[in-house]
Amino acid sequence: MFCYQCEQTARTDTSIGCNTERGNCGKDAQTSDLQDLLIYAVKGIAQYNVLARENGQADNEASAFILEAMFSTLTNVNFNAARFTTMLQQASSIRDRVKLAAGAKAANVEGPAAWVIPAEVGELLAQAEIAAVRAGEAEVGEDIIGLRAMILYGAKGVCAYAYHALMLEQQDDDVYAGIEKALSFLADNPTDVDALVGQALELGNVNLRVMEILDAGNKDKCGTPEPSQARVTPKAGKAILVSGHDMADLAELLKATEGKGVNVYTHGEMLPAHSYPELKKYDHLVGNYGTAWQNQQTEFADFPGPILMTSNCIIEPGPSYRQRIFTAGPVGWPGVRHIENHDFTTLIQAAKGTAGFAEDGEDKSITIGFGRDAVLGVAGTVVDAVKSGDIKHFFLVGGCDGADTGRNYYSDFVEQTPNDTVILTLGCAKYRFNDQDLGDIGGIPRLLDMGQCNDSYSAVQVAVALANAFECEVNDLPLSLVVSWFEQKAAAVLLTLLALNIKNIRLGPTLPAFITPAVLDVLVDAFDIKANTTPEADLEAILQKAS
Amino acid sequence: MSKTHTVHLTTHDHKDISFDCREDEHLIEAAAKAKITLPSSCLEGNCGACHGTCQSGDYELKSHNKDALPTEQGGILMCRTYPKSDINIEVPSDMAHITSGPAAERTAEIVSLTDTGGGVRHLVLRILAGENGDMGPQFEPGQFMELEIPGTNVRRAYSLANAPNWEGTLEFLIRIQPGGQFSSWLNDKATTGDTLQIKGPEGAFVLQAGTLSARRFVAGGTGIAPMLSMLEQMADFQEANESRLYFGVNTEQDLFYLKELEELKGRLPNLTVVVCVWKPDNNWQGFTGSPVDAFEHDLKTDVEKGLSLEVYLCGPPGLVDATQEAAQKNGLSADSIHCERFLPA
Repeated sequence: MFCYQCEQTARTDTSIGCNTERGNCGKDAQTSDLQDLLIYAVKGIAQYNVLARENGQADNEASAFILEAMFSTLTNVNFNAARFTTMLQQASSIRDRVKLAAGAKAANVEGPAAWVIPAEVGELLAQAEIAAVRAGEAEVGEDIIGLRAMILYGAKGVCAYAYHALMLEQQDDDVYAGIEKALSFLADNPTDVDALVGQALELGNVNLRVMEILDAGNKDKCGTPEPSQARVTPKAGKAILVSGHDMADLAELLKATEGKGVNVYTHGEMLPAHSYPELKKYDHLVGNYGTAWQNQQTEFADFPGPILMTSNCIIEPGPSYRQRIFTAGPVGWPGVRHIENHDFTTLIQAAKGTAGFAEDGEDKSITIGFGRDAVLGVAGTVVDAVKSGDIKHFFLVGGCDGADTGRNYYSDFVEQTPNDTVILTLGCAKYRFNDQDLGDIGGIPRLLDMGQCNDSYSAVQVAVALANAFECEVNDLPLSLVVSWFEQKAAAVLLTLLALNIKNIRLGPTLPAFITPAVLDVLVDAFDIKANTTPEADLEAILQKAS
Repeated sequence: MSKTHTVHLTTHDHKDISFDCREDEHLIEAAAKAKITLPSSCLEGNCGACHGTCQSGDYELKSHNKDALPTEQGGILMCRTYPKSDINIEVPSDMAHITSGPAAERTAEIVSLTDTGGGVRHLVLRILAGENGDMGPQFEPGQFMELEIPGTNVRRAYSLANAPNWEGTLEFLIRIQPGGQFSSWLNDKATTGDTLQIKGPEGAFVLQAGTLSARRFVAGGTGIAPMLSMLEQMADFQEANESRLYFGVNTEQDLFYLKELEELKGRLPNLTVVVCVWKPDNNWQGFTGSPVDAFEHDLKTDVEKGLSLEVYLCGPPGLVDATQEAAQKNGLSADSIHCERFLPA
């Protein structure tokens, strides 16, 4: 195996990437190779669907399959090798179908489209080399491989978000076309740096559209997020914990558990559920339990009921809760029960068969729900506060959390922000500081939780609206982006920010391993992207520049 | 004062854990003090549940039932093993099985008790919910429970025959042994609605999660019970591993559960069942011989095809030993063979 797609990938003085029997995420070599092969297979589907789309015969079911397959290969999503062998066989038959729709030109397509996908596992794995992330590096060099990886990993994030949107009944032909174009581009083993950078930015634009339909899907299904209190302590009674990102799964679970005497708790990135009117209307959605994904082995072990993992990030279930954790959607772990078609029967039985919370915890809650409607609802006040000097600067501090000790940077950074600044946050990185009381500025809380990483569109819209209000470009706003990345969804959002020509982004806690020094030079030249240093130095640099 | 030594354990999933053990205590009791629950059942060297392998170090292996201990190099029964130096032991359990605390004790009620034929009873228990309505820890397919005869301290270990579930349902296939204490109670006195104490789940003989290997299950008599649990879970989880179950009995009169096996095949399209009768009547249409014979016959073809195999064995020691020997003779690694021995209590 070789994998360097996430922030926790192995790094030594002489090498990068996880390349032993097991990656740092827990993914074994066999599963990693099968994931690479599945990506290779979906590139083949994409090659044909690009042609089918030209013929007006686009196969959107195949496009939806690409989303799920790609999402399954994200960090901390699916560790179940058997699911990948099944998907590879599905890919084979889907590709045959799309090939027919592609018409006469299909005969000339080479590469992944022409790969004969073996049915037998041993034969499949024997071919892993053709699909390896660094295949051809000896010929093209590590910079080209790094740029291809940036597109591939960005595409994985785009697909993950598009899958979330699809679960909320939102899809878009242009999105499918954009994803397939990127995968088809990669299938041709491109070597031109300008073309690679251009494709990466184009994918960033595709992701902007994806975030838009995802935002629309969440609103259609769950209503418009509104400032709300989310309880962070237990209530007595039977309990189910929902982690991941999928609001559609949560909505269905809340329906299925209504009147069943079972309370539902959110975990990690599901916290924003408490700000959606159509979700918080359920009395048995009682609160949030725990923090970000990397703490799940302790938090799930302590939770006295079953856990539903709706999307990333799952890590190896500990022995004390392995029998009571369930997966859904693209998620998988060997030996863990997978729920399909929102059939929560066993999950509810598990809730009834476990102890639940014996008593209420003390009343304690946090404020969430500052999506773009809430923020822009007070835009006039915000603009006035900036003009009067009450608000000197905005920081968007968000993204992924992780176990790395270097991520204390974000809590230290927020703690040290001056009192005349406002912090917008989203993603699970917020758990580093969302229990801090930062006070308010003229009634506007200094810490505004905009939701999940899935809600990045909201942040972009706020930035654009502020730029309009001040009649300037986003880059001229007193706004700094301090982005914490971990996996490929963050890579997709980064490409979107670059595609929007947002400059001076501070990225950490470490830069992606696939960004080589030469590629970094390209990004610095074009976008002035920066690596984190220390909270003190970065804050000083930002505020000095702003003044 | 007895000397103390360090016992280094390596688990089946290649994780390491250590604990101290005095020379006058056996490994199981010393491990328990360190909150490590090693697999065990009878604690008298009779059942083989605590089988491990000593890789290095000196120890005394006290008297035990020879059928309970395979003949491999360094084989030990941990309940009869007393260290004489620091020792390194390999156990066939995953770390999860030995660090999850001692087996729980619960009360269960008999929901049904039926004669399946072949001198075997199908016993269905339902765990009585605890104070908070909890049903206790879940079992893994392949594990066993200890069942206590009401009003006595007599316990017997039986493998679970159903898939893990949250309804607290536990199913067993129990052969009625003439003179056997538990089976006599079951045959003569037990009835629906009776309650009994149970302890478990226990045991390290479990289905390996999420592998892609073809699976071979070799069972003698009621040794089919843990295999059924594994296959039921495979059906439940839609695991598509190509699988073959070799189910052997001595005579056709000993056969049981054939209808249920047919039904299981319907839910597991990749399952083949080979029913083996050692001494059949003239009209027997199935395989004649032991399940070991049938397994070995097919194994040659499987190996020629280059199939990656995972073998599960459960039955009397003779069957388990013979199957292990056949598997290893054909090049299967010890890691790919998982077994449980049935021994009379």
